[in-house]
Amino acid sequence: MNTQALPRPDEGFTARLGMWVFLASEVMFFGGIFVAYGYGRSHWPQGFAEAGRHTHVAIGTLNTALLLTSSAIVAFAAACARHPPARRWTARLLWLTASLGMAFVALKGVEYAKEWHEQLVPGAGFALATPGAQLFYMLYFFATGLHALHLAIGIGLVGALAWGSGRRRAWADGEAVEMSALYWHFVDIVWIFLYPLIYLLGRHA
Amino acid sequence: MSDSEFRRHGLRLLAAWAALIVLMLLSLGSAWLPLGLGNVVLGVAIAATKAGIVAALFMGLAREPALLRLVGGFALGTLLLLIGLSGIDYATRPAAPAAYQGSTR
Amino acid sequence: MWLFLIPSIPSVLGNFLIPLMIGARDLAFPRLNLASWYLYLAGGALVLAALASGGVDTGWTFYTPYSTLFSNSSVVLTLLGVLVVGFSSILTGLNFIVTVHQLRAPGLGWFKLPLFVWAHYATSIILVLATPVLAITTLLVVAEHLWHIGVFDPQYGGDPLLFQHLFWFYSHPAVYIMILPAMGVASEIIPCFARKPIFGYRFMAYAILGIASIGFLVWGHHMFVSGQSLAASMVFSLLSFVVAIPSAIKVFNWTATLYKGSIHLAAPMLYALGFVGLFTIGGLTGLFLAALALDVHLTDTYFVVSHFHYIMVGGSVMAYFGALHFWWPKATGRLYPEMWARVAAVLIFVGFNGTFFPQYLLGVEGMPRRYHSYPEHFQVLHMLSSAGAVLLALGYLLPLVYFGWSLRAGARAGPNPFDARGLEWQAGSPPPTHNFDQPPRIPEQVYAYDPNAAPEAGR
Repeated sequence: MNTQALPRPDEGFTARLGMWVFLASEVMFFGGIFVAYGYGRSHWPQGFAEAGRHTHVAIGTLNTALLLTSSAIVAFAAACARHPPARRWTARLLWLTASLGMAFVALKGVEYAKEWHEQLVPGAGFALATPGAQLFYMLYFFATGLHALHLAIGIGLVGALAWGSGRRRAWADGEAVEMSALYWHFVDIVWIFLYPLIYLLGRHA
Repeated sequence: MSDSEFRRHGLRLLAAWAALIVLMLLSLGSAWLPLGLGNVVLGVAIAATKAGIVAALFMGLAREPALLRLVGGFALGTLLLLIGLSGIDYATRPAAPAAYQGSTR
Repeated sequence: MWLFLIPSIPSVLGNFLIPLMIGARDLAFPRLNLASWYLYLAGGALVLAALASGGVDTGWTFYTPYSTLFSNSSVVLTLLGVLVVGFSSILTGLNFIVTVHQLRAPGLGWFKLPLFVWAHYATSIILVLATPVLAITTLLVVAEHLWHIGVFDPQYGGDPLLFQHLFWFYSHPAVYIMILPAMGVASEIIPCFARKPIFGYRFMAYAILGIASIGFLVWGHHMFVSGQSLAASMVFSLLSFVVAIPSAIKVFNWTATLYKGSIHLAAPMLYALGFVGLFTIGGLTGLFLAALALDVHLTDTYFVVSHFHYIMVGGSVMAYFGALHFWWPKATGRLYPEMWARVAAVLIFVGFNGTFFPQYLLGVEGMPRRYHSYPEHFQVLHMLSSAGAVLLALGYLLPLVYFGWSLRAGARAGPNPFDARGLEWQAGSPPPTHNFDQPPRIPEQVYAYDPNAAPEAGR
């Protein structure tokens, strides 16, 4: 088959291009939520401010720090996977990344439980009366829930690669680690934007 | 990559991480300053900077061929288009909240 | 819409032809492509389940607050089906983009690519950037319908129009997903059967990109009477006029390609010519609708229905049939019967106009869309339309019969029965799994047709 003679394109770049195109679609996916938020905040500034005051900024900030750190760790893991002398560290770093992600999800669960008890879950009996406050929490639960779902997928991917990398499986190579790292960074970027919009409004008054 | 390149890359990642944490604390602190509209502008600006650091250094966009930056740019541009053009409607539509929606502003 | 018009040309033909046209063995991510197909089946099954459980009464547009607060029909099931099918189309777009960038044969620069490939590349950009907005919108509607997460509910301060902004941000570019591949098809068929290179190749490529990009700027023209601000409506109206310009350039260039060509009215050519004419009529009526004052009268009437059917059926579906005929020998290795194919093409053209031209008149007269009862003086036009539809149906059934027949008893086709240019014609009919037995020869010029050359070799 003479088609074997055709020069093969750089397969690593092809995969990265594919992942970036996918991330572009994810940007537009989460983007719709930011449009809704922009509408809500500009039309109901007092309601959003009051709602924002009731968010748990300590948990939110700690979670942000966890996710930023996990991003740095997974980036380092990807570098290790491509540097033969450091390759044995890849699995451990990936496990660490997944653990930080799981810590994030656990803290989120604690936060949701607190909000449930404080009657900040939208529905009958919602605690805040200012118009727009309930809209804020609707967007909050929707956005953070969707983010947590994406993070869970990331944890699964990174965890699987941690396992495979530890056992020197062929599919857990540097390229796969790099792909999942790109995805992880994207999930981090979404949270980077959610953080100030959820936790840092209405703080001065 | 070589050992020295690997070390340099590692240090770059560490510096990026430090910058991200500092920016996060900056953002947190600035929330308590009475800046009005400036709060959200500053918050988003700092977030954009952090996202830029993650994209350029963690995701390697600074070192990759231009095509990948183009892909990222198109995504961001399209999102800004969605926000901006729908914003024209929201900015110019007269607001007339109904009584059952409670008091406004 | 999502199960046929969006995937028809890209998925049925693009998947097959794009690797062939660029001299590649397969798409960049073959297994992702298969996943795309399974997602399409799953989404389709969900939609069929929704239809079986009573369907939806919201219309395909799912406007809030009816879809979120008041409808008791299968809204959630349908929207989940749409979500899954949408994801399928995003993956197809991703695959095409990476394939065109990375897998072109050596020597095949961008400006040697067939316009079919350009068209699918631009379509893929729209698929990747616009469809996710539909995805998040469907999730928001489902969330509001099921759990009262009322982003679109005024009771909580939400805005029903927010739904329309998000929905139409996807759904307008979606119509360009439906027409750009059809334009790509026309640009392949017309040069072949006029034996002339396409007129203005670069402008055609730029126009494709222009349609795709400006197409993202006009969605508010679906919302002129919805309560959108006048300022925004004026902006969208102006931009909607602008988006017609690249389409017009393409129509001029197809026409100019015919000039002094050596025209063969084979079946694919009949479909392609029908496409150009009917797309032009549909496109012109779009300009009427883009004018704010006119739209107040024409919106939600049969005028709109006829406008988009001229483009989607008179345009896209005719191009789809033209493409099926043009590449049938390549894909199946069999020839279809030319006479019956021409009969079907003419029948479809006549039936189509019979069905939809009366609907323009109905619309101008004030007949609303989505109404099932109407005053007596609309009766004649409705009957004419229905009669046309019968002819149209016969025209669509005919190819089903003779294509099926050709698979068993049609004459065997060689690699290039139409003496066409393009790399796909250098592969066998049908091509082997690896597409090319030898690396294809890259021509000096794309569309290297000569109207004065000797007539083409036998089929």
